[in-house]
Amino acid sequence: MSVNKLDDLKRRKEKILAGGGEKRIAKQHDSGKLTARERLDLLFDEGTFVELDAFVKHRGTNFGMEKAESPAEGVVIGYGKVDGRLVYAYSQDFTVLGGSLGEMHANKICKVLDNAMKVGAPVVGINDSGGARIQEAVDALSGYGKIFLRNTLASGVIPQITAIMGPCAGGAVYSPALTDFVFMVDKTSQMFITGPQVIKTVTGEDVTAEALGGAMTHNSVSGVSQFIASNDQACLEDIRRLLSFLPSNNMEVAPEYDTDSDINALEEMLNTYIPENPNKPYDMHEVIKVLVDQGDFMEYLPHYAKNIVTGFARLNGKTIGIVANQPKVLAGCLDVNASDKSARFIRTCDAFNIPLLNIVDVPGFLPGTEQEYDGIIRHGAKMLYAYSEATVPKISLIVRKAYGGAYLAMCSKDLGADLVLAWPSAEIAVMGPQGAANIVFRGEIKDAEDPVATRARLIQEYTDEFATPYKAAERGFVDDVIEPAATRPRLIDAFDMLESKREVRPAKKHGNLPL
Amino acid sequence: MKKFNITVNGNSYEVEVEEVGGVASAPRPAAPTPAAPKAAPAPKAAPAPKAAPAASVPAGGEKVTAPMPGTVLDIKVSEGDTVNSGDVLLILEAMKMENEIMAPATGKVVSVAVNKGASVNSGDVLIVIG
Repeated sequence: MSVNKLDDLKRRKEKILAGGGEKRIAKQHDSGKLTARERLDLLFDEGTFVELDAFVKHRGTNFGMEKAESPAEGVVIGYGKVDGRLVYAYSQDFTVLGGSLGEMHANKICKVLDNAMKVGAPVVGINDSGGARIQEAVDALSGYGKIFLRNTLASGVIPQITAIMGPCAGGAVYSPALTDFVFMVDKTSQMFITGPQVIKTVTGEDVTAEALGGAMTHNSVSGVSQFIASNDQACLEDIRRLLSFLPSNNMEVAPEYDTDSDINALEEMLNTYIPENPNKPYDMHEVIKVLVDQGDFMEYLPHYAKNIVTGFARLNGKTIGIVANQPKVLAGCLDVNASDKSARFIRTCDAFNIPLLNIVDVPGFLPGTEQEYDGIIRHGAKMLYAYSEATVPKISLIVRKAYGGAYLAMCSKDLGADLVLAWPSAEIAVMGPQGAANIVFRGEIKDAEDPVATRARLIQEYTDEFATPYKAAERGFVDDVIEPAATRPRLIDAFDMLESKREVRPAKKHGNLPL
Repeated sequence: MKKFNITVNGNSYEVEVEEVGGVASAPRPAAPTPAAPKAAPAPKAAPAPKAAPAASVPAGGEKVTAPMPGTVLDIKVSEGDTVNSGDVLLILEAMKMENEIMAPATGKVVSVAVNKGASVNSGDVLIVIG
């Protein structure tokens, strides 16, 4: 081959690698953002990224587009290794035509999704785009549609992770929404269907882009995004961490890691951590921390519906998903948002063969007109559905309250829990002692000479008899009542025992999850 | 003669105010003597209507509302106290749990809108932090 042709190739590649040019790259850095290529370098193990489709160009001919250059067509795609495992990625380049999405830009993203599905590798999509490339009109729209279809087809086959690292507005928001996990970077990323200007024109409301669709808004108010990071570097590090908890696809299990934690160690702290008085709150995070390897817990949606805690951790080096009531917030009640959050998390775990640990301390569903009007029946049903449908190993650990419908919704034996363990502090009943005594002993209390004393005595009797784990254990709804300190070794043993679990569901096109 | 409706601590009073020194005929820039009694009725009427809105909710403060229906078991702060974000403001007993209601921001307690033992509904203002 002539030297000229090699020089030509080198020259062409250099031009593409330069992206939108020095000036625009400087502007990107000034706004606190990394470039598309810098982000990929941080995401992947050093030197493992292989770029595809670098030479792709747009085909626009209208509005002067025929002269517009678009190195790599505004999106860098390819594959590489994260902790030695294959991962596909695309990264939109804001320095090239504002990262706008046109026909060929979309085709590149589709190629990533198609290839990743073929080989069963996770996809990480980094979004930083001004939106549809208006000059390309319906071709741009069609591009979004093609991506949505592939996101949906890939759902439940390969983990799809989206990072919002810049603007993401209009139709562009729906690709992230269709994926399993959405990360946002504080202060530099926004997501909305219609921006502040449109809102001002239509409804007259004044709202900043940050308040409308900033990272904290979507992590705490809307629940659209599950993870928030302080900057690009931290966000990419978090994505690498999340990938370590996930399998590459739905046919595999998550990678196993060596653990330094002693698998037989007793945690005496657990014997006394839960307050004697059932009316006293405590922080469920503390319980989770001592149960899992190295106290390492990656919380999913930590700022939204805090009355339920969800996230990934490891027991003896193997990934588990945890769903736990949080007595510190809203008394640990289940409500509309907590139901949505946990149902989505349970289904994510089930799709990717991640066993579930449910830590139960729930007084019930949150009462009130607001909850009923918001459809707590419909939303609570998602939780029941998600647990019943899940075929991964499911272990429920009842540490204190487990009352009524909420006891069932937290994966009781009847919803298919493979093993139910309870601490001696557990209270499993249809309702609390006060309420129950008022109904069961109504006549006796009314006819008594001293109704107040009689009521107190009967409540105590009810508490001693029913607000315990033993009634449920007598029926086999609880497999064993254990000493809290011994929980970790017991759970490790139980998940080990359940590893070969096989459960089949009736053949169907798909179930009809209440939405 | 002017009539005002003044609400003080929830009680409505009808107040008649008479301008001393006659009607508009009194020349404003006239002698300094009528100016003094003229000033008297004016501030009397002014602070009263102002006090009414102040008693409810001062604008601009951060309102801490009840996250669910319950009973105020204990109030840990009083007006004028300085609180840090995350400090426990009061205990709301709801769903048989003594829920700690914490300060969402650092600031001064502008007002405590509830008393110990009060029943509150979801969304009711409990405390205002300025």
